[in-house]
Amino acid sequence: MAAFFKSRHRWKRTSCFPILTRNLTGKYECDMVVIGGGSGGLACSKEAAVLGQKVAVLDYVEPSAKGTKWGLGGTCVNVGCIPKKLMHQAALLGTAVKDARKYGWKIKDPVSHDWETMAEAVQNHVRSLNWGHRVQLQDKKVKYLNVKGSLVDEHTVRGMTKSGKEFFLTAKNIVIATGGRPKYPTHIPGAMEHGITSDDIFWLKEAPGKTLVVGASYVALECAGFLTGIGQDTTVMVRSIALRGFDQQMAGLVTDYMQAYGTRFAWGCVPQRVDKLPSGALQVTWANTHTGREEMDSFDSVLWAMGRAPETKALGLDKVGVELNRDTGKIVVGADESTSVSSIYAFGDIGEGRPELTPTAIKAGRLLARRLAGQSTQLMNYDNVATTVFTPLEYGCVGLSEEEAVGRYGQDSIEVYHAFYKPLEFTVAERDASQCYIKVVCERGGEQRILGLHFTGPNAGEVTQGFAMGLRCGATLSHLKETVGIHPTCAEELTKVSITKRSGLDATTTGC
Amino acid sequence: MSLYEEVKVHGYEEFCKAVSDRKGKDIFAYFSGDKDADGNSWCPDCVKAEPIVRGEISHLPEGSVFIYCQVGQRDYWKNPNNDFKKTLKLSGVPTLLRYGTPQKLVEEECFKANLVRMMFTED
Repeated sequence: MAAFFKSRHRWKRTSCFPILTRNLTGKYECDMVVIGGGSGGLACSKEAAVLGQKVAVLDYVEPSAKGTKWGLGGTCVNVGCIPKKLMHQAALLGTAVKDARKYGWKIKDPVSHDWETMAEAVQNHVRSLNWGHRVQLQDKKVKYLNVKGSLVDEHTVRGMTKSGKEFFLTAKNIVIATGGRPKYPTHIPGAMEHGITSDDIFWLKEAPGKTLVVGASYVALECAGFLTGIGQDTTVMVRSIALRGFDQQMAGLVTDYMQAYGTRFAWGCVPQRVDKLPSGALQVTWANTHTGREEMDSFDSVLWAMGRAPETKALGLDKVGVELNRDTGKIVVGADESTSVSSIYAFGDIGEGRPELTPTAIKAGRLLARRLAGQSTQLMNYDNVATTVFTPLEYGCVGLSEEEAVGRYGQDSIEVYHAFYKPLEFTVAERDASQCYIKVVCERGGEQRILGLHFTGPNAGEVTQGFAMGLRCGATLSHLKETVGIHPTCAEELTKVSITKRSGLDATTTGC
Repeated sequence: MSLYEEVKVHGYEEFCKAVSDRKGKDIFAYFSGDKDADGNSWCPDCVKAEPIVRGEISHLPEGSVFIYCQVGQRDYWKNPNNDFKKTLKLSGVPTLLRYGTPQKLVEEECFKANLVRMMFTED
C-alpha cells in the first residue's frame, strides 16, 4: 500500500489503477467493486477478473472488542471454519490417544495438551492462507485494497485507509459481501469488557482455562466441544434449545454426547452480569429459569456465542436506498442476489434468508460474476445444501429436518427410517455409541423420494457429502436401499435402513 | 547507496548463520540451484527467474536483507531429506521467501514480476 500512495498527493475522484486503460464500460473506473474479501467476495472477484472484468476488492477487518484482527480471507479462513476444524481435530486426537492404549499403544499417563503449540500451528496455517489469497488476487489482476469500504451512491464506493485517508472508486456494479460478526449481549453489564467471542478464541495467546460458553448455536457447541477435548473445564449456558433451526432430535443426540464427553450444560439459564474479581477471574451471575433462582460461578473466560449480526452499519446502505430486513438487519436480496438498487448486489452471510456457509457464498459469488459478465443466466440453487456440525460427535445432514418435513407434507405423508449403530472402531476402544444414529426422512407414497438425511457419528462431513449428491439427483428410498454398502464403515448403515419410526420397533442395528 | 543488504551464501549452514547474524531484520531469501564456473545454474527455472527477481530488487524495503542462497548441486537437491527440504520446508527451486512469515513464491510464481514486487512492497 505504501508504494501505491507515495506518488499521489491529493485524493479526490481519481483512478486507483496506476496504468490508465480504457475499461469496458467507458465511464466507470471498474466493472465491479466488491466490498468484503471473505469466502464470497474473493470467489466473486476472482471469477469476474478471469472473465475479463476490471475488479477491485476492498477488505477490512474492524478489530474485535478485544482487539483481535486478521488478514485477507474473511471469517472462514481466519476465525471460522478453518481454525475451528483444526482445533476440533486437535481435540479428536486427544480422544484418539486415549483409545490408542486399547489398541496396544503404550502411551504414558497423563497425556496433556499445550495450547501455545496448537495455536501457533493453526495461526501459521491461517497466515499461509491469507498469503495464498493475496497471491491469487494479484495473479488474476484483481485490485486489492485493505481499506474500509462504504457506499456513496449507486456507482461510487468510498475507501478509508487505516490512517484515515479517503478515496473514491466508481464501478458499473457494486457487490456487497461483508458477512457478519459475532453479537455481543450489550444489555449484560460486563459482557463486552470481560467476554470474548469466536473472533478471539482462535487467536488467544494462552489457553482460555475454565470457560463459560454462552449460547447453543453450532458455534457455541463446536467451541465448547474442542475446548473440552483439549482439557479445558467448559460449561455451555443455554437459554432454551440447542441448535435452533436444526433437527431437534439430532441436536439432542449431539448435546447428550457432549455431556457424556465432559462438557457441562446449564439448561434454561440466562446470564445477567459479568464482574471481574480481584484474582482476575470472571464472576458470572445468571438466572436459572427452572429453579427461579439466581446463581453464580467464576470462570477464566466467557465466550459469547449467541448469534451473528450482519456487517452493514458502516456501509452507508440507507443513504443509497438499499433495503434491509427490519428484524435481522440483513440485505434483502432477490434470487439473482440483486438488491433494491439496480447496480448493487449482495450475497453470502449478508443476504437475508441465505445459509451462512462458505460453499454457498463461493458458488453464489461465482455465478453472480458470470451473470454480471454476461456469460451466464444461471441462478444459485440454495436447496438441499449439506452441512456438518463439528461437535465432538459430528452431525451431518442434507435436506429437511423431520420437523420441516412434517410441517411441509404432514405427518401422514412422510416415513422416517432410522437406526442406532455402533462404529466398529468404538468396539475395541470401549466407547459408548449411544448417540450414533441415522435418520432418513422420505415421502411416504409414490417413489418415496428422500427429503432429508441425518447422521451422527465420526467423520460425519465425509459421510454426508456423497449422499448430498444423491439428493441433488432426486434419490428415492429404493436408490438408497439398492446401493451396496462399503464394509466395514459407518456410512454403509445408511444403505441398510429399514426400521421406520412409525413401526415403533427397536432401531438398533445388529451387525453383519 | 542501497536500501537493503545483499548477502550471498552457499549451503544450509551458511544460510542459517546469515539469518541468525541478522536477528530482528526483515529477511528475504532467494534459493537457487548452484551455478557452475561459467555462472550457469543446473536449474533452468532458476535461470529464468533470477533476472526477474533482481529486476524488482529496488523495491525491497529500507533496512531489509536479501540473501541469495545457492542450495547445492542437483543430486543434493533431489534428495528429499536435504536440510532445505526437511527443515526449511522448501518444495522447489527457485523459491523466494520472506523469512519467518508464510510469504513465499515458488517456481513459476517467481517468473511473475508483479508477484515479486508485491512481496517486496506489501506488509
